[in-house]
Amino acid sequence: MTLKPSPSNTCRTGGCTLTGALSVTTHVRDAVSVVHGPKGCTHHNFSLLHATNLDNDDIIVPALVSTGLSETDIIFGGEQALDRTLDAVLRDDPGVIFVLSTCIVDTIGDDVGMVCRKERGVPVIPVPTAGFLGGSFQNGVNNALLALAGMAAPGSKTSDRNTCDENKTPSVNIIGEKTLEYELCGNYAEVTRLLSAVGVPVNIRFVHNLPSEQIARLGSAQLNILRDPALVPVGEYLKKRFGIAYVPSFPSGISDTTAFLETVAGACGIECRNAVAEEQALQDATLAEFADLSGSRVSFENAHADQDCIRTVRKVAKVLKMKIAKNGCPVPLPTTTPVGVSGVRRMLHRWRCSIHA
Amino acid sequence: MPECEDPLWPCAMTGAAACLGGFRGLDVIIHGSSGCYYYPATLLHAPLHGTFMLEKEVIFGSEERLNEVIGELAGKGNRIAVITTCVPAVLGEDIRSILAAHDVILVDSPGFAGDVEKGYQTALSTLAPQVDTGMTGINIDGASLFDPFSRGNVQEITRLLGIAGVPVGTVFSQDNLEKVWQAAPFTLGTNEDFPSGVGTYLGGTLGFRTMMNTFEHIARVYDGADIAPVCDEIEREEDRVTYTCDKFLRRFDPPSAAIFAGASYAQFAADILERYLDADILVMGTRNEPPESSRYPAVQVQGLHHVRECIERQAPDLVIGSSFERSVSAGRAFVGLIPPLRGKVRLAHQPLAGVGGTLHFTEEVLNACMEHKPAVQ
Repeated sequence: MTLKPSPSNTCRTGGCTLTGALSVTTHVRDAVSVVHGPKGCTHHNFSLLHATNLDNDDIIVPALVSTGLSETDIIFGGEQALDRTLDAVLRDDPGVIFVLSTCIVDTIGDDVGMVCRKERGVPVIPVPTAGFLGGSFQNGVNNALLALAGMAAPGSKTSDRNTCDENKTPSVNIIGEKTLEYELCGNYAEVTRLLSAVGVPVNIRFVHNLPSEQIARLGSAQLNILRDPALVPVGEYLKKRFGIAYVPSFPSGISDTTAFLETVAGACGIECRNAVAEEQALQDATLAEFADLSGSRVSFENAHADQDCIRTVRKVAKVLKMKIAKNGCPVPLPTTTPVGVSGVRRMLHRWRCSIHA
Repeated sequence: MPECEDPLWPCAMTGAAACLGGFRGLDVIIHGSSGCYYYPATLLHAPLHGTFMLEKEVIFGSEERLNEVIGELAGKGNRIAVITTCVPAVLGEDIRSILAAHDVILVDSPGFAGDVEKGYQTALSTLAPQVDTGMTGINIDGASLFDPFSRGNVQEITRLLGIAGVPVGTVFSQDNLEKVWQAAPFTLGTNEDFPSGVGTYLGGTLGFRTMMNTFEHIARVYDGADIAPVCDEIEREEDRVTYTCDKFLRRFDPPSAAIFAGASYAQFAADILERYLDADILVMGTRNEPPESSRYPAVQVQGLHHVRECIERQAPDLVIGSSFERSVSAGRAFVGLIPPLRGKVRLAHQPLAGVGGTLHFTEEVLNACMEHKPAVQ
């Protein structure tokens, strides 16, 4: 893929709000996401979501419906088109309908909220999007998660809750997984591996392949685990609404996994010394697998990686006694910070290929 | 009904980018939001630029921003083209006046103006291609970056023309920009959904029979063309296809097929399946306008809901289309013909046009069908 955003101005390259929101709403399995705009906007996103779902071995097709705005609608207003589309969507009996607007709709000033307020027998939830007018991709994700959280009843106090099943086992919610990332499944598997080590089950993945009825369970976990710190506003909202504390991100790199175990165990009131010892042994064994990289001179290829990612990979390189130098062998950085031991292991396999190329 | 569930075909803006992005020596700017930029940039694998408009430019105008991006690209040797998207198109700014100070090609092709073919045509007509009667060779038509087979098509037709001793003129739209205005007087088609309309059209190259007719046409109009080796190859390879398909039919029933593609490729696929495999074409769902006259049951299908209905109603053995179709084909034999073709690694530039194109398509069909082993009645 060749991308040449120009000029390089980060506030302009934050991605499309609509895409961010759809990466959340299309994972509510009995929902339909209505995109109010020209067909092209919906196709762009449908194609992207379809492709990433296939990458993640998920053959479920995202349920998107475009209001198919024409030039005439854009001149005279598109509210009737939205109203008509919502009526049409109802015929398929969805559990919930999300309505997302596009750049052009906000530019012409359609009152999407007004159309959504009409009683239709199922929840019709507008999600603030509107492409670049709504902010960035991450704004879209956060706005959609907040809109969905509004579907859950306010929770009781943490001390009264603590459980998700009859065995009184404390559980956690996974909040805001990056459903478009290629490593989605692997990262979730790494987190559940760690949770299993301290005997904590996942209450719900908010939101990944989630039936809308399960959103009501959002408030019944002991702890929320955010995918990354960009979701802190969502974590704060859930803390205020349900009284649930949060961990601000999946474990970054290899050494964070033990701290992650201790944090989760502490929040759930679980003894974790054995789990931490076993995890430490796994970390040591994993690093030993890549002892041959010791002494290699490397440089990092991905100039767009975030600071957390660079910090994490520098730490890994240091532990392995690798030398970071401008003229070192270029090695690829992950798109996002590698999650846990398995994320670092995959990254080191790629580094080994580059060094031996 | 204007609303559309899971629309399957890109917008006019993407079509314009698919045309302009294929020309070397042209820097293409998508004037709009980042969302409008990323889709064509990732789909077309072309080095596109964007203005990445923000809210303030919607309110106060985009002139300054457009000039900023053009200023970064200007003076580096390439011409610049600007494609407008939906929002700038309705803001009421006089983009043409804004660009008057620059040597810039403006293509007004907002997404709501139509589908990908419309945008491709708009962009190409804006470039205003010209025939240079002094140029030798034959142009190759229909090579759109949007088509995953376009590079393979160009390679294959270049090979066949080379065998016939005919140089390639201009490739529309994958060539050096200046060749747009130095096109040869004659043109061959590949994907006929993306015609240039430049020069005298000699015919298409999809399927052996069409190719034979086209090369015979070349022999009549192009001095010095030696088509005998090409005709020999067509006959030889058609014999191989006939033999292989016959062998398939000795063991299996002919497939019943549902085909979803642009009209040009859909017609090609249906002809191959019927001619060599006696296949039953249950439906030919075209993304664009269906052919005016076709002996196959043709209907325009633009949403996945409609595709799913067709497949469920017709219950074909074989589904041909994009990975969208594969998603709703319930495990049936599948062959990819149009974008997107996701979930499968594709590195080689496979053609659909030319001799190699028919061979490639036929082997894909036979392998898919044999893998699914249709029952002998």
